[in-house]
Amino acid sequence: MFSKIARFEFFYQLKSPVFWVSGFVFFLLAFGSAASSRIHIGATGNTNINAPFAIVITLLVMSIFSLFLIAAFVANVIVRDDDTGYGPIIRSTSVTKFDYLFGRYTGAFLASALAFAFVPLGLFAGIHVPWIDQERLGPIVIEHYVLAYVGYALPAMFVASAILFAVAAIVRSMTLTYLGVIVLFILYGISSQWLSDLKSEEFAALFDPFGLSAVSQVTKYWTASDRNTMFPPLGGIVAENRLLWVGVAFVLLWVAHTSYRFADRGVRRSAGKPENDVTAAAFVPVRVSPRFDAASLRAQSWKWTRFEMAQVIRSPAFFILLILGIANTVSSVWVGTTLDDWTLLPVTRLMIETVGQAFSIAPVLIAAYYAGELVWRERERKSHELFGATPTPDWVFVAPKIFAIAFVLLLTLLVSVGVGVGVQAVRGYTNFELDKYLNWYVVPTFISFLQLAVLAIFLQAISPHKYVGWGLMGLYIVARNALSSLGFEHKLYLFGSTTGVPLSDMNGQGYFWIGRTWLEIYWSAIALILVLVSFAVWPRGTEVRYAPRFARLWRRLTGLAGIGIAASLAVAATTGAWIYYNTNVLNEYRTADQDEKELGDGERALIRYMNQPQPRIIGTTLSIALYPAEGRAVTSGDYLIENRTAAPLTEVHFDLPTDTAFKVLDIDGARLAKEYKDYRYRIYSFDTPMAIGERRHIRFTTVLAQQGFRNSGNQTSILENGTFLNNFAVSPVIGISRRSFLQDPTARRRQGLSAQLRMPKLEDMTAGGNSYLRPDSDWVSSDITVSTTPDQTPIAPGYVVSDETTGGRRTVHFRSDSPIQNFYSIQSARYAIKRDKWNGIDLSVYYHPQHAFNVDLMLSVMQKSIELYSKEFGPYQFRQARVLEFPAIATFAQSFANTIAYSEDIGFLQDGAALKADPNKIDMVTYVTAHEIAHQWWAHQVLGADVQGSTMLSESFASYSSLLVMEQLYGPEQVRKFLTQQRDKYLQGRLSETVEELPLMRVENQPYIHYYKGAMILYRLKTEIGESIVNGALKKLVDRYRFRTSPYPRTTDFLEILRADAGPSHAKLISDLFEKITLYELKANSVKYTKRADGRFDVAIEVEARKFHADGKGKEMEAAMQENVPVGAFLVDPTDPKFDRSQVLVYEMKPIRTGKQTVTLITEEAPKFVAIDPYSIWIDREVKDNVIPAGAPAS
Amino acid sequence: MLAIEGVTQVYRGGVMALNDVSIEIKPGLFGLLGPNGAGKSTLMRTIATLQAPSKGAVRFGDIDVIRAPDQLRRVLGYLPQDFGVYPRVSAYAMLDHMAVLKGIADSKQRRQTVETLLRQTNLWSVRNKSIAGFSGGMRQRYGIAQALIGKPQLLIVDEPTAGLDPEERNRFLNLLADVSESVVVILSTHIVDDVAQLCSDMAIISKGRIVRHGAPATLTAELKGKVWRSFIDKSELDQAKSRHNVILSRLVGGRTLIHVVSDTKPGDGFEPVAPDLEDVYFTALTSTQNS
Repeated sequence: MFSKIARFEFFYQLKSPVFWVSGFVFFLLAFGSAASSRIHIGATGNTNINAPFAIVITLLVMSIFSLFLIAAFVANVIVRDDDTGYGPIIRSTSVTKFDYLFGRYTGAFLASALAFAFVPLGLFAGIHVPWIDQERLGPIVIEHYVLAYVGYALPAMFVASAILFAVAAIVRSMTLTYLGVIVLFILYGISSQWLSDLKSEEFAALFDPFGLSAVSQVTKYWTASDRNTMFPPLGGIVAENRLLWVGVAFVLLWVAHTSYRFADRGVRRSAGKPENDVTAAAFVPVRVSPRFDAASLRAQSWKWTRFEMAQVIRSPAFFILLILGIANTVSSVWVGTTLDDWTLLPVTRLMIETVGQAFSIAPVLIAAYYAGELVWRERERKSHELFGATPTPDWVFVAPKIFAIAFVLLLTLLVSVGVGVGVQAVRGYTNFELDKYLNWYVVPTFISFLQLAVLAIFLQAISPHKYVGWGLMGLYIVARNALSSLGFEHKLYLFGSTTGVPLSDMNGQGYFWIGRTWLEIYWSAIALILVLVSFAVWPRGTEVRYAPRFARLWRRLTGLAGIGIAASLAVAATTGAWIYYNTNVLNEYRTADQDEKELGDGERALIRYMNQPQPRIIGTTLSIALYPAEGRAVTSGDYLIENRTAAPLTEVHFDLPTDTAFKVLDIDGARLAKEYKDYRYRIYSFDTPMAIGERRHIRFTTVLAQQGFRNSGNQTSILENGTFLNNFAVSPVIGISRRSFLQDPTARRRQGLSAQLRMPKLEDMTAGGNSYLRPDSDWVSSDITVSTTPDQTPIAPGYVVSDETTGGRRTVHFRSDSPIQNFYSIQSARYAIKRDKWNGIDLSVYYHPQHAFNVDLMLSVMQKSIELYSKEFGPYQFRQARVLEFPAIATFAQSFANTIAYSEDIGFLQDGAALKADPNKIDMVTYVTAHEIAHQWWAHQVLGADVQGSTMLSESFASYSSLLVMEQLYGPEQVRKFLTQQRDKYLQGRLSETVEELPLMRVENQPYIHYYKGAMILYRLKTEIGESIVNGALKKLVDRYRFRTSPYPRTTDFLEILRADAGPSHAKLISDLFEKITLYELKANSVKYTKRADGRFDVAIEVEARKFHADGKGKEMEAAMQENVPVGAFLVDPTDPKFDRSQVLVYEMKPIRTGKQTVTLITEEAPKFVAIDPYSIWIDREVKDNVIPAGAPAS
Repeated sequence: MLAIEGVTQVYRGGVMALNDVSIEIKPGLFGLLGPNGAGKSTLMRTIATLQAPSKGAVRFGDIDVIRAPDQLRRVLGYLPQDFGVYPRVSAYAMLDHMAVLKGIADSKQRRQTVETLLRQTNLWSVRNKSIAGFSGGMRQRYGIAQALIGKPQLLIVDEPTAGLDPEERNRFLNLLADVSESVVVILSTHIVDDVAQLCSDMAIISKGRIVRHGAPATLTAELKGKVWRSFIDKSELDQAKSRHNVILSRLVGGRTLIHVVSDTKPGDGFEPVAPDLEDVYFTALTSTQNS
């Protein structure tokens, strides 16, 4: 019986259009994801399009989308009989409840599984298109598709279908089952948020019903090579997750079985029969006549609105959505303000940003869901005839439904504000700034929610059925995300889209709100048209056919509605034209595709000039007038250039910055000879060639200004409060370098360019004459004048020579006495200033008055850093050091000569109290400040040549220096916590590599290597050969290369000093660390300890070790290991945040070789924990097995 | 007066639900009699502005129903054949809601209207109960209560007595008779007795066409002397049908009773019988089926 029912169900579902339509859509999506040159799920970086990893990830991602399909199938199984009324007939046969339920479930599950098989089919078909990027195609292995489908997709679909089946069996409603789909979506969303945190990642891996988070966690450190060759294993946490959820699925199926009432679902008759008052009241005609005036219309619309809202609010779905909304918000706010390694104060701006992100997809789902429910409710409840025959105008039916959805969305919005305020209160932050919540969040978000509600209603109104309407809404969601990545980016045709408004406490909404407001008006007008069209085609009464509805469209549109449409069209056309004027006339509308193509064309046209000898900039004088409120900077400048080449020069080439107008660009004795307008490239030729050693001047005047507003990419340098501009944006660059060209290898292939423009090799001695920062300049003298509004403080590198306010302008003149990089910042804002002085050096922090939280800490770290670095590396070259806050529009800190620009999001908002309370947290203010101060040595005194490895000399050394400061302030424990984060970031960073991972000494400006790996490597070096030797070598490097130009130093120069100082015993270590990519597998297997006669303990630890060298694609070769590794015994788990030095029994270096071996230690007390490399200083992917508990003593 | 002129309704696939229906209906209770699927509900819905006809016109007094549906809705009371209600809404609240929609905005007047109607339809004692839990009769009475809100000049009730027990049905028909004095009431039904008991005017609809129209008494009188009955054996039925114009056959006490329409006595074993409305109805149906 069971199998017959299952078979019937299977073939029944196969006949449904849902099966074929979804199969077709799946095929298209999968095919598109494989065949497209832009959208690859799971195949990022160097991962092949058909890598087993990519196949598995794509299938799992698609399985999440397949929820809609599964819901349709399994809910249909349950509700079909109730809906058709066929249930009693079936249930009165001899079929058992088990056979009935599970036979059908099995059939439906098999049907959805078969529909899903179109995904691997589509993926497989997609790689066979002729335009596929062959570089990114690995060997084609059919087993990978089969295994991914059977091993990953089927279990995921089983779990999802069982859950939805159970939901359907319990609620016996199609729409409530769809609500279950939304719940699963949100569960997945929450789990993927947790996944980003090291501490909760395992929990997240278990929590995800689809298993995607578990796979992500297992493959977290997989390199491109691993991803291309290895199939994600179905063991470990993946198996645990699958077992857990399959278990849950079976439990739910059992629950479904027990709770499903097999009996007919009768009508509840609670009212009972009325008393049989046969004395029926005599007929009294109702005397009241209806009135059809404005008052009744008001009453009708108000009544209907209240009625709609009551229907929504009293429905169980509403509460489920609301609770989920709260859970989602709390979870994201939590993650958003406690980034995994540090912690921010929950300022209102941050709350708004994180809450806003959490609400990006949920409102669309809510609007879609309710639009379907509300538009079709009368019809589903069969009350459409009752209402349709009342003398109520059509709009009274339409408008309240929109209001009701908008109201639900507003409520979720207000709830999210409540959550934000609640989290602030719980965290003890009481400056709630409700005005910001209102102006920055509630108002703009609600406007877009309203438009969304209108769209959802409109799509339902023009659809013949609820599910079609939902499908159209789904299409909208997909299109909204896909169109912009396909080059359709204009806000004028992406419904409801507005230009972005970056928020900042310093700058508020800046001028960014202007463009958004115009688009809000434009889209609101279009939304109004949609409302009126919805009204005009509203399926009133029993009519759902299109022809009669369109026939009455014109009649309905005569009068007010028509005037409304005409007026809205006029508003939309006017604002649209104005927006177009701003985005396409005042500014150039450019898509990412066009930008990429232009870079490609530019490279083809200009690459021949790349190694053309050019004069050098050796002095710069700049005068910048800032007009913050208008977003404008007028610059006039003077470069002093010198011919430092070995031959006379006949030409000067300029690469001019985008968006900046050059009013003047003159060179002594030269004329414009050629101009590439499209690529902003100019060639001037000298009337008389510039002799060797000759100096001349270049004079220029530029204007950088925001013109109206753009479709995207409004300029963010010059802001009303918080201007942060670097000199590249307003002045010319001499000559062209590979920096100006397209970097991403896939994009390069797309544009038909050579594979890669790489940095010159470390050994390329011809490249030593240029610094990696700016090949057209050596160290320069500087003279900078900045003027701004009188209420702001302008800052540029150098010492203040004069500071005058005349004629409503404040003008400050800066001059340096030490040479600086020709790369500097100009900042201006209404700053509060805190100053300190140490050893003749002026220290100051310029900050937003509300952001005083960490200013004292910054000052003290600046002082400690300068003190330490002066002692260890050599003198500080300036008499001042300044930290300046800039708006959170960008999130980074950057070191310029004696000036550090520091985003309000980094450090200024660190939550000191939370930091003290949570030993897991790292004081990032100290780390970042010390790092940026260290750049005054590493970049501003010693600057690497433009060859491989140069950023090791600046970034890795700055990171190392800041670790020294951290260690001095907090002890080594804090540093270890930090290194754990660095290790994770390095191992993850390797995965996104698109070109080649290089050893540290050859790093090609790869952040995951020069920051994260650099810090680890240098810290290990210090651990093994001693701090004094490492610091000594660094000091020698500064001594030799301070302000050195041609040749600029290389990493080999440092390693030469290091090798000499460390001695030959460390040659192999230095080679492993700097010349190779070295990874370890260290593991403590077991431990035995016994009490000795002298009362101490013999501790024997079995450890296991392996060492690997990886190539640039992540392919590993095992190497023989024979080196010293620290082994220790402890009273507390050394990875416990509460661990400190007093709990170390013994910690010593022991010789460790490849394989298993026993290491013995002697301790004073019985050990509780033993470990190999307890502080994870070695780069080891699995550090959890380094520590094991010691257990009881062996007898 | 309601005038229906040449109303034709063609559904997708060429199905003709209404085929050139023309009829005039005067104030009073009008019965529209027809079997399932004859087009009754389509006609009712067309009159009630719920769907537009493919062709034809409907006029009520001065109102062009197709072009100005809102005008008609102001004087319309409509009880659909089948209607559903919202969960968690009481009879009172729902009726109040309908009253607003029907243009009774003033809350005092509305309370008066709602309360009067609830008492009139005998729903007063259950006014705070959810309609979802009502019995079929109670639900129909609620339906007529909402249809009577305001002062409907045109009352359309579509198959209101289907599924009611005899007592409920009587009560319902009495209610209808009470309100039918000065307004046009259209009662669509497939039950001959409903029409026979109440209606002053009637039409029979079959396959989308009006096949008979007139007062029940007139229509009955037309058949006078033409209806014959006979008791036959069940096995003789087919033979009788082929030989005579059999309009109805039913089992009575184990024997088959047939009615035959004929101007003259059809033969032995037939006896004349006084025609009733049922004979009219079945004669009309038989003639369309044979046509």
